Amino acid sequence: MFKKLITSSEAHGTELARTFADAELICREGESSAEMFVIRRGSVRVFKASARGELELAVLTKGDFFGEMSVLEGLPRDASAQAIGEAEVLVMTAGALLVRLRRDPTFAFELLRRLSGRVRSLNARLVLALGNGGDAHRAAFSGDALLYQSEVKPGGSTV
Amino acid sequence: MIIDTTQERLLVVSDLHVGNPYSSATRTLGEFFEFAERGRYNLCINGDGFEILQARFASLAAESATVLRGIRRLIERGATVLYVVGNHDIALENFLTAWSGIHITPFLNVTSGNQRIRIEHGHLYDPSFVKSPRLYEWLTRAAGPLLHFYPDVYALWDHYETLRHRLRPQLSADRQRSVYHEAALMLLRRGFDAVVFGHTHHSEDIALTPEGRYLNCGTWVRGGSFVEIDGGQMTLRRWGV
Repeated sequence: MFKKLITSSEAHGTELARTFADAELICREGESSAEMFVIRRGSVRVFKASARGELELAVLTKGDFFGEMSVLEGLPRDASAQAIGEAEVLVMTAGALLVRLRRDPTFAFELLRRLSGRVRSLNARLVLALGNGGDAHRAAFSGDALLYQSEVKPGGSTV
Repeated sequence: MIIDTTQERLLVVSDLHVGNPYSSATRTLGEFFEFAERGRYNLCINGDGFEILQARFASLAAESATVLRGIRRLIERGATVLYVVGNHDIALENFLTAWSGIHITPFLNVTSGNQRIRIEHGHLYDPSFVKSPRLYEWLTRAAGPLLHFYPDVYALWDHYETLRHRLRPQLSADRQRSVYHEAALMLLRRGFDAVVFGHTHHSEDIALTPEGRYLNCGTWVRGGSFVEIDGGQMTLRRWGV
């Protein structure tokens, strides 16, 4: 009912849609770049290097976002992100983020909610680690992605 | 507070304006709630369900009781009832955590089937509301007593809006695109497959991009329309048609 098509331009401010091939790196831990990403299609794996190898922090899907820490703090990437299958992401510079926050105010709410969830998750892992010693410490900080995801999902990551 | 939710069968209505002397919602919603119950749907009221800003408390209380009983019955039968806050019921933001079994929220990100759907009232994109929210609220409040004594004032406004809306198809595609379409496009760009607004009182179902839809639930002030979500399939329907 009432269906009609209105064409739209993809260019909007400094937001840019980019497609990544399977296993292609979207951002790399330690690099200095100031963009955040919103997944429009496909899935993205977030991981971090450690002394014991690669730790998977989360697998994110459509609508989830990552990379905001580098935009907000201006610090190097804290983790890497890699496409799982073909993935399309919206790349936002700091300027684009500010434009979006003005035009899409609920995005700010979602961002705060994700960050709040992340603090809660880290608090829980800290308590687990400090309260129970060795084994729990490993469970909390050795890349137990399930624990991380159950606290943070749906949404954000820690890139 | 629920923001992200998975819903396979959901009915979305908006702009009931229960308590507005011109609203027919209280008379028609009973059967709609029965329809929701029979179909095992959950219910989302997408803003301006209750006319808190303009109605007199006595009429709001009287009219609300019937609707709240219907909602209570749905909840008792196992349905989830979600309530997205609009501009005429913005006071309900004080009940964001829980209100007698109704989940009150500023907006919803709904996953249904393989679709990701944003449900939001839409007043945050209304230029008048954005430019001067206090003046907007004051003018809306001021119109309340006028509506009470002369409910037909609302009819005049409604006719004007309907006429204005009918003239829009004469415009070019670019000029047809309203601020709500632009807002919906912003949301679609960040991973939503569809956006459902209310607020404008004009039911719409438009493909804004080849893969992204904008729907508007319309209003129940006169007649009624709603969006049915069933396993990711979305249909804009008129109640009783």
